[in-house]
Amino acid sequence: MAGRRGRSELRIPMIDELGQFALALALALSLAQTVLSLAARIRRDGALAGAGEGAAVGAFAAVAIGFLALIHAFVSSDFSVLNVAANSHTAKPLLYKVAGAWGSHEGSILLWCLMLTGYGAAMAASRRLPFALKASAVAVQGALGVLFIGYMVFASNPLARVALPPVQGDSLNPLLQDPALAAHPPFLYAGYVGFSVVFSLAAAALAEGRVDPAWARWIRPWTLAAWSLLTMGITLGSFWAYYELGWGGWWAWDPVENASFMPWLLGTALLHSAAVTEKRGALASWTALLGLGAFILAMMGAFLVRSGVLTSVHAFAIDPRRGILLLVILGVAAGAGLGLFAWRAPRLKDEAAFAPISREGALFVNNVLLAAATATVLAGTLLPLIREAIDGVPISVGAPYFNVTFTALLAPALILLPAGPLLAWKRADALGALQRLWAAALIALAGALLSLALVSPRSALAAAGVGLGLWVATGALVEAAERVRAFRAPWSEVGRRLGGLPRGAWGMTLAHLGLGLFAMGAAFETAWRAEAAAALQPGQSMRLAAFELRLAQAGDVVGPNYEAARLLIRVTGPGGRLVCEAAPERRVYAAGGQTTSQVAICPGLLDDVYVTAGDRRDAGVGAGAFLVKAYWNPWVRLVFLGPLLMALGGLVSLSDRRVRFAVPGRARQPLAQAPAE
Amino acid sequence: MVHRAARAARSGPAENLSLTVYRRQMAEIDDLAARGLLAEADRRGVRAEAGRRLLAAAERRDSPLVSASPRLTLVAAMLAPLAALAVYLAVGAPRAADQPFAQRLAQWRQAPLESLTAPELAALMRAAAARNPGDPGPLYYLARYELLSGQPLEASQALDRAIALAPQRADLWDLKGETDLAIGSGDLNAAARQDFQRALALDAQAPGARFYLALEKIDHGDVAGGLADWRALALDLDPADPRRAGLAAAIAQVQATGKPPPQEAPAPAPAPQIQAMVDGLAARLKARPDDPAGWARLVRAYAVLGEADRRDAALAEARRRYAGRPEVLRQLDAATAPQR
Repeated sequence: MAGRRGRSELRIPMIDELGQFALALALALSLAQTVLSLAARIRRDGALAGAGEGAAVGAFAAVAIGFLALIHAFVSSDFSVLNVAANSHTAKPLLYKVAGAWGSHEGSILLWCLMLTGYGAAMAASRRLPFALKASAVAVQGALGVLFIGYMVFASNPLARVALPPVQGDSLNPLLQDPALAAHPPFLYAGYVGFSVVFSLAAAALAEGRVDPAWARWIRPWTLAAWSLLTMGITLGSFWAYYELGWGGWWAWDPVENASFMPWLLGTALLHSAAVTEKRGALASWTALLGLGAFILAMMGAFLVRSGVLTSVHAFAIDPRRGILLLVILGVAAGAGLGLFAWRAPRLKDEAAFAPISREGALFVNNVLLAAATATVLAGTLLPLIREAIDGVPISVGAPYFNVTFTALLAPALILLPAGPLLAWKRADALGALQRLWAAALIALAGALLSLALVSPRSALAAAGVGLGLWVATGALVEAAERVRAFRAPWSEVGRRLGGLPRGAWGMTLAHLGLGLFAMGAAFETAWRAEAAAALQPGQSMRLAAFELRLAQAGDVVGPNYEAARLLIRVTGPGGRLVCEAAPERRVYAAGGQTTSQVAICPGLLDDVYVTAGDRRDAGVGAGAFLVKAYWNPWVRLVFLGPLLMALGGLVSLSDRRVRFAVPGRARQPLAQAPAE
Repeated sequence: MVHRAARAARSGPAENLSLTVYRRQMAEIDDLAARGLLAEADRRGVRAEAGRRLLAAAERRDSPLVSASPRLTLVAAMLAPLAALAVYLAVGAPRAADQPFAQRLAQWRQAPLESLTAPELAALMRAAAARNPGDPGPLYYLARYELLSGQPLEASQALDRAIALAPQRADLWDLKGETDLAIGSGDLNAAARQDFQRALALDAQAPGARFYLALEKIDHGDVAGGLADWRALALDLDPADPRRAGLAAAIAQVQATGKPPPQEAPAPAPAPQIQAMVDGLAARLKARPDDPAGWARLVRAYAVLGEADRRDAALAEARRRYAGRPEVLRQLDAATAPQR
């Protein structure tokens, strides 16, 4: 017994320190990954390359241990970890204790490093990359790991300890205590950092002087994965902003939103330009530049939200010291990548020219427009910061600038989009492609005219937007119908072709359909949203478009770590039909003393009635009344459904065996042997 | 690292992966032509392009891979943990064990109460309230200690839950009134007045309510009425109640000046046991002064209790004692910061 007790007394749990050591080990292994892989490439030594790959897998395992240690610290409320003390509280629900691990500056950098090393390990484990390209890319990925893990360990340590831990933590910002926001960062970072592999492969290909069609095929699964996950991440973030912030909108052109949107735009351009490089050997240097650019913009986003140069609900911290370090990392990585491009790109030659009317011609125009749109967003995001840095004059670039410039650039891209997939490579018959789209054109025109005629107030621009969305969505369906010869071949033949259609083709159709639905929703919701606000006492009501909202009762509720005033609002439609009973809350979180609005949404098939509760008026005229704000958001479901379909399209394409492994699938029919996208 | 290096060394010559890609491209071109999306003339041109790529890839001869001495791999495998250890020693805290909250709570439960600070007592009461969700008692004390810790919002929420369980308890309403005063920075707002009136309706002796409602009378010019209420309160308070001294001082000041005492956020009188434990800690440090954590706790306790002079004196003494130990000085500085 005594011996057993003695051993028990000696047991000192040191999971935090084990995690801390694991992060230090990850740094050392990333350095080893870079050195070994580089040496392997120079000597063409297979064993050294294997060792570098082993170091990459080890670095990932070590960061994963550090990450698990941090989650353990959050779940066990170990306030001796500074990060936990600053971002958690014993009364916080378990989900948000776990999510707190990436809710702070330090934790989010750890998540970033987990993704970075995870992608590095996946690339190292891949057996479908040629030796030289892979060794160089693993070395570049390792160098990125050294930069970011080094920054984390020395300047943003998520497991730093305090000698005298506080009794209670400061808790996580209540706005971040939300299921959508718990999932948003992992998706977003999986997308951002997924582009690091493309960056590494682009840098490696430039160093090797081999940016060729095979390379374009090899970057495809990584680009698809990163793009799909980033699409999911941005959509989740937008959905969170919609129902958590209580302002009724879903996109505000906030600089931090823009920071995530820019890599997405370049990633979209990259997906398309890589197809041109793969099929025709053209746009090789442009594709390599996009491969570098997408991750450079992702790193810039990381800098913007962490440096304190932005004021936003999304921004992590006001910390110029660490901001400068991140700027240095951005400068080193971007400088090296772009320097390599400047040195090697002039030696790259496109294999073939192409006619303006061709699939690659359409994709080229798509790329020009997407790149211009990215530049527009970049200018609108950075110019105010640059101006303020130069002469201290704060200026703001608001939604009108972005709406006008972005719409002007994207509208032509949407007009061209349905025709692109119907054009042949090299030289195409434009008239033939347009003739195939007559049904889509008719439906789009009818939709636009109906919107103009029936929806009040009349808006030609919004009606055009609805028509454009319909054009893209029905165009995608027409293209799919063309592939399987629907209405032109016997239905048995159509069914056979449908079954043989490659997943890549399904993915493209889903993504374009999603884009069309999004455009319809965005145009309709933005133009015809209705809002109303009133101070209501129980029994009083207000009107919102065709709805009546009556405050039935108000009461107090107690949550796990908050108290709230909860309103019960009966929403009735035309003829007194009950639409729903909305229960918005005004929450007070004692830890941190913050007040938030919990939105209540009455979901329709496409529309939302969206209700928020303000503070109770304590004194004066109307004492006891609550400020109630409500919005009717028509077709807003499409705004979220569309991007989710796009992400699904990307994932379906990724599931195509030929894309994942870059080898032909075992087709049942000759038709299915190749994607037509 | 070593395992993968050995496996790579054993593997055969590298496959030409470009060939695989270009073979598939040829098949794609045939498929496009079969579906009528590529004219025969174009098909020939594009197929010729892909064929050229295929031939070029087939002709390309990279120099064969070697597997030289494993020395570099072994050196890296040995250096990586050593480098990690060096980095860890620079940024880590090798002697610092985990401090999960449940374990600290168990330690506080075992410790003498006088050694605990108000936030620690609040944590104990929070755990007790969670174990006994139907009992307003722990919630009352939780509120008291939260208030002492400078957390009136937390105190208010604990009292709301307690009042929901026992709405007839006057002491809950009395403390709720003091909490609302603290939230309102000392102003007798409508919520606090309502709470005090509720407390008095349930118990005419409720001391907090009597004090603050009398103060309001004085504020509004009824000095005589307010003073009479205070004097009556002073007679009713227990002789050992530490609030008697403060009340007597306030009565003397109003009598002398005819004006209400300066408006400040009312710090509730520290509960006697808290004061005793702080005094006990101070006495222990006098007897056994070499206890850096104890000094930090004493400084923090004085800060929490709002005893600035004693906090500064303890801080000065500790600073003098540990002038050569920067890590202790950092702990002391941290202890003077507002605590949760």
